Amino acid sequence: MDSKQVSTKPKSSLKAKVQRFGTALSGMIMPNIAAIIAWGLVTALFMVPGGWMPNKHIAQLINPMLHYLLPLLIGYVGGRMVYEERGAVVGAIATTGVIVGAKVPMFLGAMIMGPLGGWCIKKFDQLFLDKIKTGFEMIYNNFSAGILGMILAIIGQFIVNPLVVSGSNLAAKGVAWIISVHLLPLANVFIEPAKVLFLNNAVGNGILVPLGIQQASQAGKSILFLLESNPGPGLGILLAFCMFGKGNAKASAPGAVLIHFFGGVHEIYFPYILMKPMLIISAILGGVAGTFTFQIMGAGLKAAASPGSIIAVLLMTPKGSYLANLAGVLVAAVVSFVVSVPILKNNKSTDEDLDAKKEQMEQMKSDSKATDPKLDTTNVKVSIQKIIFACDAGMGSSAMGASLLRDKLKKEGVTDVPVTNLAVRNLKPEPNLLVVTQNELAERALEKTPDAMHVSVDNFMNSPRYDEIAQMLKQDNSSVSEVETKQPGHSIFSDIDFAQIKQIRFVTDSHHVGSTTMAVSEFNQELQTADKALRADRVILSDVKDQADQLLVTTTALQADLRAKVSQAQVVVVSNMLENDDLKELVLHLN
Amino acid sequence: MELKKKMIRLNQHFSTKEEAITAAGQLLVEDHCVQPEYVQSMIDRNNELSTYMGNFIAIPHGTDAGKQYIHKTGISVMQIPEGVEFGSAKDSKLVTIVFGIAGLNNEHLDVLSQIALFCSKLGNVAQLSDAQSEQEIINLLKEVGE
Repeated sequence: MDSKQVSTKPKSSLKAKVQRFGTALSGMIMPNIAAIIAWGLVTALFMVPGGWMPNKHIAQLINPMLHYLLPLLIGYVGGRMVYEERGAVVGAIATTGVIVGAKVPMFLGAMIMGPLGGWCIKKFDQLFLDKIKTGFEMIYNNFSAGILGMILAIIGQFIVNPLVVSGSNLAAKGVAWIISVHLLPLANVFIEPAKVLFLNNAVGNGILVPLGIQQASQAGKSILFLLESNPGPGLGILLAFCMFGKGNAKASAPGAVLIHFFGGVHEIYFPYILMKPMLIISAILGGVAGTFTFQIMGAGLKAAASPGSIIAVLLMTPKGSYLANLAGVLVAAVVSFVVSVPILKNNKSTDEDLDAKKEQMEQMKSDSKATDPKLDTTNVKVSIQKIIFACDAGMGSSAMGASLLRDKLKKEGVTDVPVTNLAVRNLKPEPNLLVVTQNELAERALEKTPDAMHVSVDNFMNSPRYDEIAQMLKQDNSSVSEVETKQPGHSIFSDIDFAQIKQIRFVTDSHHVGSTTMAVSEFNQELQTADKALRADRVILSDVKDQADQLLVTTTALQADLRAKVSQAQVVVVSNMLENDDLKELVLHLN
Repeated sequence: MELKKKMIRLNQHFSTKEEAITAAGQLLVEDHCVQPEYVQSMIDRNNELSTYMGNFIAIPHGTDAGKQYIHKTGISVMQIPEGVEFGSAKDSKLVTIVFGIAGLNNEHLDVLSQIALFCSKLGNVAQLSDAQSEQEIINLLKEVGE
């Protein structure tokens, strides 16, 4: 990206920044909801004690899933958001560093290390990828990501891990302090944000449950069990999404309600808050109102309701407290719903953001569709961030094409656009993508990646498109390429009598048949393009016959031998038969 | 991987592209790189989509489905000084060098990349087409890697 594009973007407000941050966070969680549900179900069903059908053997899954699987997945997706597969792998390696040794599930750490890992390898590649010699890419790819991942994992272990751990300790201490000063409802001011950052277990199991067990052992019930496991605040937010949400969020909210409220997997509503961070206010107010209701009505549970499902809550409710407990949940849900509705309804800035994004997309679409075979280099230059060469099997032609284009870009000083090769069937839509294919495959490539910019080439080895792409991507357009001007005047054809030429032959010796074949073919194509009737052929020096209507083309090396053989035929001597400007000029003189 | 002398044939004459592809494929079979079925898949691939690359070279290789016949990575080279037509009478695509390719796990990409960079200059293709020994071809292609 260059500065031009950045400056045309609307200046983003703090709010928009927070929102983008929240979207990024939820983007790391959303794809992993299935894993969270799997873990939640295993916990709800088989946990010992507390599950529906406690089973020690199956319950062994609970901890590794929570402590390793979920953070690693989040780290992986977080890395992928920044830098595809490579970023994902480095992100996951780095996440391991914050996981080991931590007693809390490292969701937060994963959300830091994943994108950080992706970013590091991306920057690293930008610096070094183009300096890698052909043939060493594989070694570079694996070792750079491996070594970087290792370093990040160690940094995570020593720096990020303690930071996150002390963060959750702080939240836990805050809750403990509030309980000690008897301002119980305010505990939710800490609890709700901590939950959304996946510190719910630290707060719940770390502080509330142990304190609750103490209270319950004396009083038979404790309100502390309800503070974190109250499904009310989350329910209110999800219901608000069901009615006033937009697009995907709205469509997925009803399912989330079931999983959250009855399954007790609170994690499912966290991404919805991360999408619209303002909603944390609903969660806090809902939680505070709920706890307040619990307190004045004398609610409490016999033991911890884990997971925080309404069913678990009711199962743990002592006789006589049903009304109080249900009231607290209901009040929490109503309050958080009522607060969420205006936030969802009046969030104009995001709507504009979305609309603006859509418009931008449409614009890009129409740009790419309108691109005709000759590259239209206006406007698209800055948007291309990746080039993929596609062919049938991804085995031959595309690899060659990619090598050549990479080389060309490097020579033009374009270093920040990676060029890779792929089989057409493996193409997938990506933003800011340029796809290069053989003409015959252009249609299939377009089907696979309708939004990408497409360029098709006829000649993989020497396509003028490569230069056009390189020029298009060239950062610095200021240097005007120098136009080579040919010296006029002297021509090697000035003493040739073209009128009598009926035959043109390229003379070679037996050691240069191949290159002469090429030269003849090249020359004939020039003749064809110029609409000339005459065609050249190739002849070995020993077979040359001396005829006046012949024009013989030969090289400096054979000149003497040829001249010794012929006297009538006219002779043109060139230093080199291929890509020779003199021969191109010769075409124009012929019939 | 490296190019092997026994995988290079100089001064070959073919009247059709199928003959040229078959010969290039046959060398791969002889070197136990591929099963004989792969040769047909090379011809099929070329019919579907020409493996003519421009600059007088072609790189016949199998279809995606033909990958199952590959035992190991290999590259064969056919030098055809008089050329063989990969195009049509109207749209001539003469080829003087044919690289037969069987690629597994991208092991062939370094050599292929060298070939591509080297052959992007017409003069270099001319040198390959004129080469008088197998070693000369190996040396020419080697230069690019360094």
